[in-house]
Amino acid sequence: MDYIISAQKITKDFDGFKAVDGLSLQVNKGEVFGFLGPNGAGKTTFINIMVGLLKPTSGQILINGEDVQKIDKGLIGICPQELVLWDNLTCKESLTLMGDMYEVPKKLLKQRVDKLLKDLLLTDKADTVVIKLSGGMKRRLNLALALVHEPEIVVLDEPSEGLDPQSKRVLWNYIKSLRDDEGKTVILTTHLMDEADKLSDRVAIIDHGQLIKLDTTENLKKEIGEGDVVEMKLSKPQMNKEVIKSLKSIQQIISVLEVDGLINLRAMDAVGKLPQIMEKVESTGVQISDLNVRQNTLEDVFIELTGSSLRE
Amino acid sequence: MKFLSIAIKDLKEILRDRRGFFFILLFPMLLIVVFGFAFGGSGGNTPHNLAIINYDQGSELNNQSVNFGNNLTQMLENAKYSNSNVYLFNVTQPSESTADQQLKQEKIDAELIIPQNFSQATVSLINNTILETTNPLSTGSSMNSNITSTLIIRGDTGSMNFGTTQGILVGILSQYKDGVVTSTQNSVRGTPGAQPTEYLSSTVEPIAGTANFTTFDFQAPGLIVFAIILLATTIATSLTRETERGTLARLKLSKMRGFDLLFGAMIPWSLVVVAQVVILLIVAKAIGFSWQGGINSILLAIFVGVIGGIASISLAMIIASFAKNDRQAANLGTLIAVPTSFLAGAFFQLPQASIGTFLGQSFQIYDILPWTHTIDALRTILTYGGGWNDISYQVGLSVLLTIILFVIGVAVFSRTRLRAES
Repeated sequence: MDYIISAQKITKDFDGFKAVDGLSLQVNKGEVFGFLGPNGAGKTTFINIMVGLLKPTSGQILINGEDVQKIDKGLIGICPQELVLWDNLTCKESLTLMGDMYEVPKKLLKQRVDKLLKDLLLTDKADTVVIKLSGGMKRRLNLALALVHEPEIVVLDEPSEGLDPQSKRVLWNYIKSLRDDEGKTVILTTHLMDEADKLSDRVAIIDHGQLIKLDTTENLKKEIGEGDVVEMKLSKPQMNKEVIKSLKSIQQIISVLEVDGLINLRAMDAVGKLPQIMEKVESTGVQISDLNVRQNTLEDVFIELTGSSLRE
Repeated sequence: MKFLSIAIKDLKEILRDRRGFFFILLFPMLLIVVFGFAFGGSGGNTPHNLAIINYDQGSELNNQSVNFGNNLTQMLENAKYSNSNVYLFNVTQPSESTADQQLKQEKIDAELIIPQNFSQATVSLINNTILETTNPLSTGSSMNSNITSTLIIRGDTGSMNFGTTQGILVGILSQYKDGVVTSTQNSVRGTPGAQPTEYLSSTVEPIAGTANFTTFDFQAPGLIVFAIILLATTIATSLTRETERGTLARLKLSKMRGFDLLFGAMIPWSLVVVAQVVILLIVAKAIGFSWQGGINSILLAIFVGVIGGIASISLAMIIASFAKNDRQAANLGTLIAVPTSFLAGAFFQLPQASIGTFLGQSFQIYDILPWTHTIDALRTILTYGGGWNDISYQVGLSVLLTIILFVIGVAVFSRTRLRAES
């Protein structure tokens, strides 16, 4: 398949700290590409390098085979993580301004602005100044500003941050329509697993500035996270480590980890293995105070690959 | 025309932030009012040091040789403040070169140069007055010999003492001329005392308005420029906010060039300067500023103010290149704008610190600031009633320095804020 973006051995050094460390990947034309990673993994730094806002210490980004610093600026549209808006301009004025900055012809610009306002449910607020919009409306305008010049590549940095379920639904449907109806390439960074799972064709998991895994969500779940997950809360959480040691001796257990004070056990046919698991736990003299069996999710894959310790 | 879109955007942001806009105008207004009340009173009855260089070669009137230059000198020596025994001037009569030297050393406040043909011109004035009085229709006929002669009042327009001295001198000279005309008319119509010398004795007596020129008249243009310099802080804050909020990054990713952003910002802020000059002038006038010159002087003052404003915008770009957030921009802006205002002479005249000569004029160290010339030019227009010819040197220099500062501002801001970060 044709790829539109090629990152070649990108490294970014901030005073000895490697925010991005030799990252190489390709993004296909017309796909939704998800970046998953804990806070501080280097997602935003990489995105900024990818769109040409930040120069890499080494490596090169090619967009359609051309260096990112030399491409036509109208090719990329970015919706940053924070709300980047002019407080005292109205929705329509903000969109028209950005359209002017991308040299969109006046007549076409008017049509696009009206369509974007309609698609993102902002028509009623077209002449309202930004400062008077609700959080969800501001988020939608933030996205619209990235799209007014109809870029080929749309980069969305944590687009659902702080959105209520209704706004999130509007946004997700819109992102899907960008790919399905308009053939755009969408790059999405997120730490929301369901968002990456539901929207992305492929997901890159990055941590410590390095690419850990890159595949379709289905393959990732299959490869790393086969089977079911049993989550247990013990009466004495301080015994977690000892219990994990004991559980590892059960055959056909894929992994046992401590996640957020709970024991997270993954195994094929976990329900059939439950009596064996409970017996092992009770043999250490600890009671199970809560137990939950569920299907494997992308989050389990993520935790498996990036560990459970807190990142800041 | 992307810069126009940026200009419109900036203008909307300035005007819609009504509170912010109000504060931009309020602070300088308050300052003008405070200074007006503090320094708007009497200028004080102290004699001014005046050097008179009399080149008058005399003339003949009614077959008597007269020298009106000597007469004027004597009159100035004897002139006193109204209702006071204090003389208006300490008159000395050095050579022109000595007087120039003394001006530079601030030993004298002003020099008055009486030209060679002063008596001839005065005689011509008297003769013409006689002609007009006896035959009003003869005005402009070839019978008249119209001789004009220009008295030169020379001094440092940046000096407050010169301001006061010239203010009084202009008043006296105008009355001197009027007095000559009145006395001539009276003598021709048969009023007693028709001797030439007596034409003049009557002009010495009432010297009204000698206390009109106050310290505030000198300060008001300086305060207007202070407001313009202070604008650099506001503009720097606004530019830094654009960086801090990420809107600059958004614009940077588009096809906008540095020129569009900075030239675009210049237009609305120049309009703010226009508003400031007009409003501050009205406030100053309302509380006693003796504004010289007519409506044209406002247009000239606005033009000069806008050049100063562009210099402030340039300074703002430099400040915004180094400030990381709007609070830093405000603090750094104040830290730079206030001393700059003092150096430019917005509040009081600074001691001489000459570093050479430029186009035949002495160049002080603070003359490298464009606002120094803005202040001088505004003072010449508003306080002394000067016109374009009187300020062309100051305006030329201020345009030149502003262009240099603007180029530096654009270069520094583009390098630090408009390129991809490394």
